[in-house]
Amino acid sequence: MIVGASLRALFRRRGRTSLALAGIAVSAALLLDMTMLASGLTASFGELLGSRGYALRATPKGILPFDSDATIRDADGVAARMAAVPGVTRVARVLGAQMWRMDARGAAEPLFTVGIDRTAQFLYTLTAGADPGAGEVLVSEPMARTDGLRVGDRVRLATGMDASLGRARDLRDYRVSGIGDFVYNYAGQRSLAMELGEVRRLTGRPNEASLMAVAGAPGVSDDSLARRITAAVPAVSTYSTRELMGEMDKRLLYFRQMATILGSIAVVVTALLVSTIVTIGVRERFGEIATLRAVGVARRRILAGIVAEGVALATIGCALGLPLGLWMAGRLDTILRAFPGLPARLSFFAWDAGRVSLAMGTVALIGALAGCIPGWGAVRSPLGQALREEAE
Amino acid sequence: MTRVIDARGVAKDYPYGGEAVHALRGVDLGVDAGEWISIVGPSGCGKSSLLNLLAGIDAPSSGTVELLGRPLHALREAERSRLRLREVGFVFQRFHLLAVLTAQENVELPMSEAGIGRAERRGRARELLEFVGLGHRVKHRPPHLSGGEQQRVAIARALANRPRVLFADEPTGELDRRTGEEILALFQRVNAEGTTMVMVTHDPGVAARAERTVEMADGLVVRDSGAKGGS
Repeated sequence: MIVGASLRALFRRRGRTSLALAGIAVSAALLLDMTMLASGLTASFGELLGSRGYALRATPKGILPFDSDATIRDADGVAARMAAVPGVTRVARVLGAQMWRMDARGAAEPLFTVGIDRTAQFLYTLTAGADPGAGEVLVSEPMARTDGLRVGDRVRLATGMDASLGRARDLRDYRVSGIGDFVYNYAGQRSLAMELGEVRRLTGRPNEASLMAVAGAPGVSDDSLARRITAAVPAVSTYSTRELMGEMDKRLLYFRQMATILGSIAVVVTALLVSTIVTIGVRERFGEIATLRAVGVARRRILAGIVAEGVALATIGCALGLPLGLWMAGRLDTILRAFPGLPARLSFFAWDAGRVSLAMGTVALIGALAGCIPGWGAVRSPLGQALREEAE
Repeated sequence: MTRVIDARGVAKDYPYGGEAVHALRGVDLGVDAGEWISIVGPSGCGKSSLLNLLAGIDAPSSGTVELLGRPLHALREAERSRLRLREVGFVFQRFHLLAVLTAQENVELPMSEAGIGRAERRGRARELLEFVGLGHRVKHRPPHLSGGEQQRVAIARALANRPRVLFADEPTGELDRRTGEEILALFQRVNAEGTTMVMVTHDPGVAARAERTVEMADGLVVRDSGAKGGS
């Protein structure tokens, strides 16, 4: 009955309580977003890496995927040795290069081009046509859309530019074999895929690869497979998805620091809002509380009622903040994903039920603690003095 | 007669600005079962301080107080609280009803704290509100009741756990004369049913309604109309 009366008292001042709840909801939404942000990018990166069935990446020794122009030498031999490692089911070779597309007026546009292994490619999903063969290219969806390219059209490419003359070198025409949805492209990125042998020939790197993707047999641990490959082929660095996520985590340290700082601010603001509202409510009902104590209501029961007010404020604020936080996360994600150079499929905010529950539980706990402070003061003040003050 | 309150040599000091203010300076007072006494005196004479000590709300700086045979000065706060809940009723000048509860719920509250079941306490609350003349206002909240009606609800709340002693601190202080008279008539009925009454008032007219008057000045009892030698 005491707890019920305390909760009813909380909503006696509807305007004030509503404003406080709005503030707590905004804080809870911010905390939720920072919780989702703290691990979101790494988790999303991990999902993206494994999305096409290749859980391992092999790169030139000590280099992260596409971190430099370094390549794996004797790539075909390395791929064969990797394929012989027990547990390996497929090895996909990729060679990155830059090509220039020449338009009708002779203007050159640089395009990131990947040489792919037709039998084991993981970089795009075919949306029209077929994988590129000899004399063919596959274009990304944004490029096909903006240039009005269709399967069977022709594009003129240059393999290099003469900087001093501003003139393209080695011009060739290619047939568009297909259109693809590139998994790791940033939003709107125009890019090409060609047969690996063609890229090698055009760039003069006959047996090289920028990276290799390795698929393991079902039930084989990625980490143990990476160790086995490293032992068998020490000339390359092999990373499991977990290790790459770890590397990503290190690079995103500033994101986590920012999320921690903003999340802490949200917690402090919540604590201040709850304790302010509960303190004002307790002060207003000081006489009622003193009377309850005088008639013999146990102090712990009165304290429980006041703490319940704090918990109720925090919990309702959380419930209101949850949809707000999810909406804000969606909006922020759209903005952040538009950053050039980041894969459009990456998400900055990941829903993790465990972490979100922990964050919301923290807010409820903060509410309880914030209620404890004024509650403790009210039930510990000398009763006789409290009654005298009320009578004056 | 059974003695329900026995105060001996009770003193109470309050710290104020680094010094002690002597609110009570050695009061002896005995109250027998079924008595109705008024404690009167000018403002600041110590009468409310004495009431708080007799009821176990405050602890004396020195001296002893026994309430219903229990030595209040030796009890812990939780024990005094239980004693107040089950054996004592309070009526205050400013009513202090819980504004968010109905009249009935306010009366039910001490019974709920004492562990009485819902059906029983609901029945008794209605009975008590009928007794104080508010049977038609059970669902009303305090802000919708007049001062006199609120004080009647407070009296019903004070009687909820069938207290053996009822303490009232300036119970008519916030009421007009006519309403005050009604409240005193109600006290008379409560006392007539066997409840011991201790009432503090600064109004001699109100004090005269009690069968015994204890007059205080400067923290001391200076006259006791019912003294039997000791006080």
